[in-house]
Amino acid sequence: MIELRFHEELYDGFAIDEAVKTYAAYATAELSRDGGAYVVKVTAKPEATSEGIDERVLSAELANYALGLTIEKARSGGAA
Amino acid sequence: MSDMSFHLGEGSVRIEFDEDLYPKDAIYGAAYVFIDRCWVHLDRAGDRRIQVTLKAKKAGADTQAFVGEFQNELLGQTWRLRIVEENKKLIESITARALGGAAGPPGLDELLAMDIGEETAFEDPLGIAMSWEEKYKKKGKAEGTKAEAEGAGENASGGEKAS
Repeated sequence: MIELRFHEELYDGFAIDEAVKTYAAYATAELSRDGGAYVVKVTAKPEATSEGIDERVLSAELANYALGLTIEKARSGGAA
Repeated sequence: MSDMSFHLGEGSVRIEFDEDLYPKDAIYGAAYVFIDRCWVHLDRAGDRRIQVTLKAKKAGADTQAFVGEFQNELLGQTWRLRIVEENKKLIESITARALGGAAGPPGLDELLAMDIGEETAFEDPLGIAMSWEEKYKKKGKAEGTKAEAEGAGENASGGEKAS
């Protein structure tokens, strides 16, 4: 399990939700909030690890996807 | 405290920026450019300071070079944002005029409802609203005609006195 922390002022909560849904086929995620941060605990599914997908890479890609969506939302006028 | 600092880690690099100098939107813009090459993570490193962590996706990539590239990109993004801010009013004005023109000419009721006065009338620095005759009339000819008219008036009044 890998814990990702996203600062609330820098990441959009909806973007994180969307990223988690996008990677749902490969990982299970537990979402919570703690001290001004969105916390996502990512665990790669056995099917994904059996295909050779590394849990760290999966988590990093999920974080990148969340950041990308946050930036796109900020550019289109949404709050980050 | 420096407005920018970086720390090299194992295959990753951390850069800190002062938000007063580099706005959040500019940092977003620069981060977006690196998202295909690096895993990018943003965090708060203190009050008004943003920490950017870049980790190369490809093993053996020159992470130190990423620092310089990121800083250059950030500077470019900040500059673009400033230009957008400076031209914002002009763009809004042009867009409003274009949309106003697309709506067609105003009806009689709309014209009557308009508050048109000395202060609200639109400015015409290029003299576009001026008539052709008014804009290109010959000054000498106009003055001569005026003088002739004045002379004729004097003669007429003198004639009245004589009679």
